[in-house]
Amino acid sequence: MMPDMTQVGQAETKEWTPNVSVPVVMFNQVSKTYGRINALSGISLGISGGVTGILGMNGAGKSTLFKLMMGKLKPSSGDVKLFGTNPWKNSAPYSRVGFVSEGEKLHDWMTALDFVVTFARLHGMTRDEAREEAERVLEFVSLTDVMHKKIGQFSKGMRQRVKIAHALVNDPELIILDEPLQGCDPLARTTIMNVIKELGRLGRTVLVSSHILHEIERITEQIVILHHGRVLALGNSHAIREMIDQHPHKISLDCEQPREVAKYIMAIDAVTGLSFINPTQLMIETKNLGDVHKELPQVILQSGLKVTGIDNPDDDLQSILQYLTGGLA
Amino acid sequence: MSNQMDTIWSKLDRKATAIAEFTMRQYRTRISTWAVMGAGLMAILLMLLFYIDAMGTDIDPIDNDGDSFDSDGDGYPDGQERKYGTNPTNPNSFPSGVEPDDPSVWIDEDDFNWANLNGQNMSVGYDDDGDCLQKDTSSQRDANDNGIECDVYLEWNVRTQSYEILSDGGVDEDPDDNAYVKEAGHRAFVLGIGKFGIVYLLGIFLPLFLATGLIREEMSDGTLHYMLAKPIARGEILLYRMVGYLGIVWPYIIGLCTFLAVVTGFIGPSDGFFRWSDLGVWLSIAWAAMLVSFVYGMIFCSFGILWKNGVILAIIFATWELGMAFVALLSGGDSPIKFFSVIGWGLTLVDAGVALSWPDNWNLIEMGLWGGGNGDYYSWSGRWNYNALPGAEPLAVFSGKSGLNMANWAAFVTATMVLLVQGIVAWFIGQTLFKGKEVD
Repeated sequence: MMPDMTQVGQAETKEWTPNVSVPVVMFNQVSKTYGRINALSGISLGISGGVTGILGMNGAGKSTLFKLMMGKLKPSSGDVKLFGTNPWKNSAPYSRVGFVSEGEKLHDWMTALDFVVTFARLHGMTRDEAREEAERVLEFVSLTDVMHKKIGQFSKGMRQRVKIAHALVNDPELIILDEPLQGCDPLARTTIMNVIKELGRLGRTVLVSSHILHEIERITEQIVILHHGRVLALGNSHAIREMIDQHPHKISLDCEQPREVAKYIMAIDAVTGLSFINPTQLMIETKNLGDVHKELPQVILQSGLKVTGIDNPDDDLQSILQYLTGGLA
Repeated sequence: MSNQMDTIWSKLDRKATAIAEFTMRQYRTRISTWAVMGAGLMAILLMLLFYIDAMGTDIDPIDNDGDSFDSDGDGYPDGQERKYGTNPTNPNSFPSGVEPDDPSVWIDEDDFNWANLNGQNMSVGYDDDGDCLQKDTSSQRDANDNGIECDVYLEWNVRTQSYEILSDGGVDEDPDDNAYVKEAGHRAFVLGIGKFGIVYLLGIFLPLFLATGLIREEMSDGTLHYMLAKPIARGEILLYRMVGYLGIVWPYIIGLCTFLAVVTGFIGPSDGFFRWSDLGVWLSIAWAAMLVSFVYGMIFCSFGILWKNGVILAIIFATWELGMAFVALLSGGDSPIKFFSVIGWGLTLVDAGVALSWPDNWNLIEMGLWGGGNGDYYSWSGRWNYNALPGAEPLAVFSGKSGLNMANWAAFVTATMVLLVQGIVAWFIGQTLFKGKEVD
């Protein structure tokens, strides 16, 4: 493997051509162990097209899954294929992939433009091509006005967008984002979500990981739930949501007169039970969370009573996992 | 052809220069880079001060043959008495009608008259003060029995590749110590600072601090992901990172050697205004340091890839190399053990370059160690223990032979090739390790 004089990556030196008849990402019975810890066990997945959310608690194996795709880790058993090619053996498929890693470390001493240009050149672009591309993607993630500033001065959300720009610079067909929304302020969150949705609309295959369900739901309907290194559920978020909805949900209301409020709440059909937890809190039980949320504001408004907070204590991943695993999580 | 070159350049301009350029800029933003290079420069400057001081100070001339002494106290130095045929140990015997000489006349009065030595038996020397020519009989005047009166006979020893010096006595016996110590001291400094300071110390410390973390640091802080997510083989990343490292280290070495060559070239003793013949030596030193820093860089960077505490392996390796540097220096380059190292080949390269640039270097050392042939005769060994001129012994320590049984230019080329091969093998091992490394 001598310096690649053709400068088109091993892709061309090894005559790499993507296999279009197989899924973009293919996992066949893949396991990854660290000593005695199973990070992933027996994962089989095939993903092509659209935005897919990879949902799981910390340590569920989301990052391991992505690192296997990006050839940073070698599977302990099973096959990983990226465009039909083994990514551990061959870096060629990365010419069609953009990867946003989870780590926050960046080259703080570079300007955003420098950073994106430098890594664009690793796709075999000339300086001019790289600069043109970099300016395009930086505009795509709305960083044009700060692209000449050092990354070290950037906020978390801006840093995340620089990473996304760096990943998009080769106009990839597959984009992998590991926890892109973590630690971002609401504005940055919205920007990043829009970017991801836009990519999906452009027909790219996008994989996004998160440990927050409603975040993923705002981006996509296609989700994979990972738990303890296994695929726990897979499919449309509505289907999963429905499955979840068959088991009672709780909504808590903070109000000064819970008993007065309760009278009005009882009028909602979907409500199956009420309980008073403490003098200022009312707990609603339902099997149809959606309906309750639809009617609740209207009912509270009609009552004319003061409600200071609404919360879904179990609408988080933990309780869904608990439900899906039958309380084993 | 130019079209072909354009293509190669514009293509190379992409991945290779992107990584090399990035690496060089990364080095420039780190304080550690400047600290290491600054420390190296400081150390060299300090040594240079000692050198400048030594070159500006004249030593008191030594009366190597002792003939400025007035043994009998009659006011006439022994040398003058011998010249006029009076008895230097009899106070009543002295030259009449002649003013006594100042003793300094009889110091450094019979300098070396050697030049153009060519590795064959030869008769050299001239009895400037006439104390040999004064001797009574022909056999006294031809003590070395070579048929020429009052000469120094140099017998070339093919086995040791050096001269045996056989003097008729009283020929070139009181050389100009100050001239000798300047020349020998200058050369000893150039070789000492060149071989030990630049080729060994800089050659090993620059890579130790700058190359060990070349891949490892990015692996640890997680920034390596950006590079690894691009369509480029890991072996290439290692190679281009290394190019970036050399882009910082090589100009530094070249700059330092150029600076030293200019300063010592003007300050050192010379007939003209500049010591042009030293340039070949400095070139060899710079070239050896460049190659050595390349090989060490590859090795240490591979240690970093292998283990997160790779610097420990690098220090162990550097210790072995230090031992080999001493073996190579103290054996005068003769010990073949030195070839089981990187530094051994680096010093071989310098020694070959020195032999090409200063062909008279060994003569100068032998001349100085002989020092005019004055000293004690050991009857039990049948040998003379000559009093060496100051500067001769340090020069002997820092000079060495290539130890390769071949012409000097061939030794120079061979050492270069060996070092390049060492670097390429280290790169191959490094990229194999890197390819098999999981980056978390």
